[in-house]
Amino acid sequence: MVKVKVFATLIKLTGRKILEVPAGSVGELLEKLYSTYPGFEEELKRGFMILVNGRNIEHLQGLQTPLREEDIVSIFPPAGGG
Amino acid sequence: MSIFILAISMYGNWGKFLRVNLSNGEVKVEEYNEELAKKWLGSRGLAIYFLLKEMDPTVDPLSPENKLIITPGPLSGTSAPTGGRYNVITKSPHTGFITMANSGGYFGAELKFAGYDGIIVEGKAEKPVYIYIKDENVEIRDASHLWGKLVSETEEAIRKEIGSKKLRIALIGPAGENLVKFAAVMNDGHRAAGRAGVGAVMGSKNLKAIAVEGSKTVPIADKQKFMLTIREKINKLRNDPVAGGGLPKYGTAVLVNIINENGLYPTRNFQTGVYEHAYEQSGEAMAAKYLIRNQPCYACPIGCGRVNKLPTIGVTEGPEYESTWALGANLGINDLASIIEANHLCDELGLDTISTGGTLATAMELYEKGFIKDEDLGEAPPFRWGNTEVLHYYITKLAKREGFGDKLAEGGYRLAESYGHPEYSMSVKKLELPAYDPRGAEGHGLGYATNNRGGCHIKNYMISPEILGYPYKMDPHDISDDKVKMLIIFQDLSALIDAAGLCLFTTFGLGADDYRDMLNAALGWDFSTEDYLKIGERIWNAERLFNLKAGLDPAKDDTLPKRFLEEPMPEGPNKGYVVRLKEMLPRYYALRGWTEDGKVPPEKAKELGIEEFV
Repeated sequence: MVKVKVFATLIKLTGRKILEVPAGSVGELLEKLYSTYPGFEEELKRGFMILVNGRNIEHLQGLQTPLREEDIVSIFPPAGGG
Repeated sequence: MSIFILAISMYGNWGKFLRVNLSNGEVKVEEYNEELAKKWLGSRGLAIYFLLKEMDPTVDPLSPENKLIITPGPLSGTSAPTGGRYNVITKSPHTGFITMANSGGYFGAELKFAGYDGIIVEGKAEKPVYIYIKDENVEIRDASHLWGKLVSETEEAIRKEIGSKKLRIALIGPAGENLVKFAAVMNDGHRAAGRAGVGAVMGSKNLKAIAVEGSKTVPIADKQKFMLTIREKINKLRNDPVAGGGLPKYGTAVLVNIINENGLYPTRNFQTGVYEHAYEQSGEAMAAKYLIRNQPCYACPIGCGRVNKLPTIGVTEGPEYESTWALGANLGINDLASIIEANHLCDELGLDTISTGGTLATAMELYEKGFIKDEDLGEAPPFRWGNTEVLHYYITKLAKREGFGDKLAEGGYRLAESYGHPEYSMSVKKLELPAYDPRGAEGHGLGYATNNRGGCHIKNYMISPEILGYPYKMDPHDISDDKVKMLIIFQDLSALIDAAGLCLFTTFGLGADDYRDMLNAALGWDFSTEDYLKIGERIWNAERLFNLKAGLDPAKDDTLPKRFLEEPMPEGPNKGYVVRLKEMLPRYYALRGWTEDGKVPPEKAKELGIEEFV
């Protein structure tokens, strides 16, 4: 099981801030979240930030980034500030 | 008739500054020509030009010889999105270098409605005064009865005295009066031109407030084109997922979780980059517990400002991301209500929240390490991490310079230095650092080291590419020339946006071409994007020249606290990293066209048309 932390508008869709989901890659994880939580895919349509153990998947292997049991995945819809 | 032609010969800018000499009470309206505007655009640009032209950069910042320039830009007061910003530019008593503190709200736009591009305040009044401006009518009024009053009390008293609902007021609180090194200029209640002690400069001049009301419409060159352009840019912002989504929904504190999960949320005076209680003080938590509505600034389609309600203090505005962190995680404090109350108190006293929190964090680490002892504090609360008692007690004391507060009022660097350990001040050029540990974003670290006003994030917000992915994602630990070039673009673009009178948050949604479009339509110019960025570069270089003349020693001053250069991040995704500043800085100087030792050479100054200031 991968520990998934969701933030901002995603919390309302999942009803929880932390989820546990079995998945072998980030892409597989997203597919599972999309099919389990209505609106999740729509919320990420215009972009997202996905971190695996705090590292952005853009600097790993993108959606192909493999996931292991103890990994922590953080998912954000587009957000910023300053 | 000729006066009428002159009056509309410039667009966006009025071509007029108000010069107020508080020593002799003289008030003058001074005109400048469009050629100057074409070189400097306005606001932050014109201000550095005036300062270099008129003032010796070595003056004591708290002496009557220092000048305080309060100036909106050419797009301030127009319908351009976020066109309500103004800058307060002066020599900082905190850093000894230039500072350009920026604020939103409604004051900047109102100053434009009165017919001015800015006010140059000179000298020092014999007793407390405030300036009242109603279009052409400018009065210097007695403010003895306002001295010592909180920000909200002062606003209320001036409103009552003048009896106008339209009035917009920029003012100082007790912190500015008492020359606290990091006092802010406040406006519209809770908006702050916060950084590097602009409020102390205003206080040193015995100037409590500037109250303004105006009846004019900012002239636009091509009204129809401008309206169409504006509509397009507003739509871009509304459709942007950040400017039209995350920011209005959760405010700037939406960043708390993002920065914490990325491992660069400074905790307990930057001892680590991961805070275990981050969620409890996030924008999400604030929206769920205390938020009652958003508070947009003038002409802003984003509306990131927060209006919160607490049982203890009632309705208040803020805190922003920076304030939430400075008065929270940086002190090991996780109680959001205490943070909101402390933010409210800083606003009422007229304090920069980042430096207030940074100074308290320094005190806490000095206490932890045994340098500040219990006997130094007497009955006052101990500087223990997480001790919420510290907030109200010491914030009030430092604003009044009472007891230990007098030491705190000098800022974290001078405090740590007085104990022989300046390395515990997380500051650059003595200005306390904001809410990003540079060991998790090295380009941002280079930005801190080279920022003209010291430890500031907003004038070179490399968090955008390095963490948020705007305009595209860059690896936070890439230190290639591409990263350095991006930093230079961000610095120059920020200078341009400040000079235009817009909010930097428009960069979530707008690019350099969009600013060109709005400026060309409003000003009637035919400038290219490169021409505008050149203005930004000119401003950045002119500010650098001011600093060099003020005594900046690049070898000593363009640096970071030792912690970021020598102590690897202890945990989280950035574990093991330091900032490789030594590898980046020489390339930054070279790509800027500066000398190896960080000076602006005559040929670079000539290229930018500022050789007269070398």
